[in-house]
Amino acid sequence: MLVSMDGVSYRYRTWPALEDVTMGLAEGEFLVVSGPSGAGKTTLLRLMWMDILPDTGTLEVAGFRADGITRRELPLLRRKLGIVFQDFRLLPDRTVYDNVALPLQVAGTAPRMIRRRVFELLAEMGLSHRRISYPHELSGGEQQRIAIARAMVSHPPILLADEPTGNLDPGVSRMIVDLLLDINRGGTAVVMATHDPRQIPEGTARMLFLDRGRLSDPGFWPGMGG
Amino acid sequence: MALLRMVFREIWLNLRGRGSSLLVTLLMVSLSFVVFDVFLLVTANLGSMLERERESIGMEAFLEEGLSPQAARSMGDVIAGMEQVRSVYYVTPREAEAIFRSQFTRREEMLDLLSSEYRLPASLQITPAESGQSPAAMEELARTVAGMEGVVDVVYGEEYLSDLSDTVSALARLDLFAGLVLVVSISLVVANTVRLSVSRRSLTVQIMSISGASGWFVRTPYLVEGLVSGLAGSALGLALVALASQMLQGTIGHRFLPLEWSLLVVGLGGIVGLAGSWLGLRAALPGLGRTGPVRGGRIR
Repeated sequence: MLVSMDGVSYRYRTWPALEDVTMGLAEGEFLVVSGPSGAGKTTLLRLMWMDILPDTGTLEVAGFRADGITRRELPLLRRKLGIVFQDFRLLPDRTVYDNVALPLQVAGTAPRMIRRRVFELLAEMGLSHRRISYPHELSGGEQQRIAIARAMVSHPPILLADEPTGNLDPGVSRMIVDLLLDINRGGTAVVMATHDPRQIPEGTARMLFLDRGRLSDPGFWPGMGG
Repeated sequence: MALLRMVFREIWLNLRGRGSSLLVTLLMVSLSFVVFDVFLLVTANLGSMLERERESIGMEAFLEEGLSPQAARSMGDVIAGMEQVRSVYYVTPREAEAIFRSQFTRREEMLDLLSSEYRLPASLQITPAESGQSPAAMEELARTVAGMEGVVDVVYGEEYLSDLSDTVSALARLDLFAGLVLVVSISLVVANTVRLSVSRRSLTVQIMSISGASGWFVRTPYLVEGLVSGLAGSALGLALVALASQMLQGTIGHRFLPLEWSLLVVGLGGIVGLAGSWLGLRAALPGLGRTGPVRGGRIR
C-alpha cells in the first residue's frame, strides 16, 4: 500500500474535520474522493502530504509513518508526492520552465538532467512553446497543465490532486481529467478530490465518499449523466 | 554545486524588487550603528588619554628640612626597591629652586620676596611601574611613602586620575548598554523585515516545501538577507562615523577606532543581522532548528 490510514481523526480546534477514517491506496490505483464542500476532502489530502498530522489513528504514506516522521524526513516524503491544487499555485515571478523545474532544482538535480526532463515533459503536454512564458500569460487550462507537469517532473509514485478542475470550464476540465488518467495509466497512483465525481468515466477509478468527515463507500458509480 | 547555485538564485529572487524596504532596513541598522560607533570612539579616545596620563603621571614626596642628603638617598633606594616603583630621583633644594624658576618664569619674584635663608624643600620624584599606575595602587604607594620617617607630604594627581578613570569606566558601561540596546533593536528591525519578506513570498515557501525542499534550503535566502543587512548596515554606519571623524580632525584632536575594533563592529553587525533573521524565521516559519519527531499541528 502506498497510503494506509487506520482509524484516523483530525479536528480543527473543536470542529471534527475527519472521524475514524480507514482507507488505503494501492500502487497504480486511481482513487476519487468525493463529497460536498466541507466534507473533509482537502483535510484528507493534507494528511497524505503530512501538512497536518492525525490527532488519532495511524497513517503511513510511501513508507513514512506520521507518528515517527522527523522534520528531516519530511522533504524526503514530499519528493515522493506530486501535489496539484485547484488554484494552480504557480510562482508568478518564474517562467513556466522554472516552475516545472522547481522540484528537481530543490532536490539538487544536475542542471543538464533538469533541462532534459523539463523539455521532455513540456513536449509531452504540448506546452514547449510556453516554456519562457510567465503564469499570468497563460490560460487557466494551461496553468493547470503546468501545475501537473511540476507535480510529475520528478516521477513521484503518488499524485494528489485537490479539486484540480474546480476553476476550469467543462471542456478544459475534461482535458485535465484525461491527463490525470493518462498519468495513472503510466503507473502513478492518483488521488483526486472532487465535489463532482461525474467527470470521471465509470470503471476508471475507485470512488470514496466523504460526508461530514466520515468515509463511506457509495456502492454505486454516479456516472457521466448524473 | 547545483544546489548552491539554486540557493544563490533564491537569494537574488528574494531581494529583487524590494529596494525600498531593504534601503529602509539598511538605513535603520546603519543609524543605530552610528550611535554605537560614536560611543565607542569617545571611549577609545578617553581610554588612550587615560593611558597616556597614567604613564606620564608621577608622585612627589617632600622631605623634612633637616634631612641629610645621604638619608634622603637611602630612603629613595628603599622606595625604588618597591614592586610598584620604576624609579626614584632625589631633588635637592637647589634643583627644586632651579626647576621652579624654569617652570614659573613669571613668578620668580615670589622666591625673591622670601628671606635668603629660605630653601624649597628637597623631594623624591617617584615614577611608578606599569603595575602601580592604577588609582588604587597609586593611593597605596602614596600612603606607604607618607608613613615613612622624614617625609612631610606626598602629592600626585589622585583626584584627576580617579575622575578620568571613573569617566572611562562609566563610558565603557554606557557602551555595553548601548551595545545591548543596539543588539535588541537591530534584531527586531531585521526580524520584522524577514517576517514581511517571508509573508510576501509565502507561496514560494509553500511550493518549495511541498516540492521537497529541505528546511535550510527554504530558510537560507532569508538568513543571508539578515546577514547582509547587518554587515552592510554596520559598515555603512562605520563609514559615516569615519567621515565625520575626518571632518572633525582639525577641530577636535582624536584618533579613529583601531582596525580590530572596526572589524569587530562590522562582525557584530553580521551576527546581529543573522540573529534577527533567525528570530523572524522562528515567527514566520515555526519549527526552525527542530529535528526531532513531529508532533501534531501544522508543519512545513
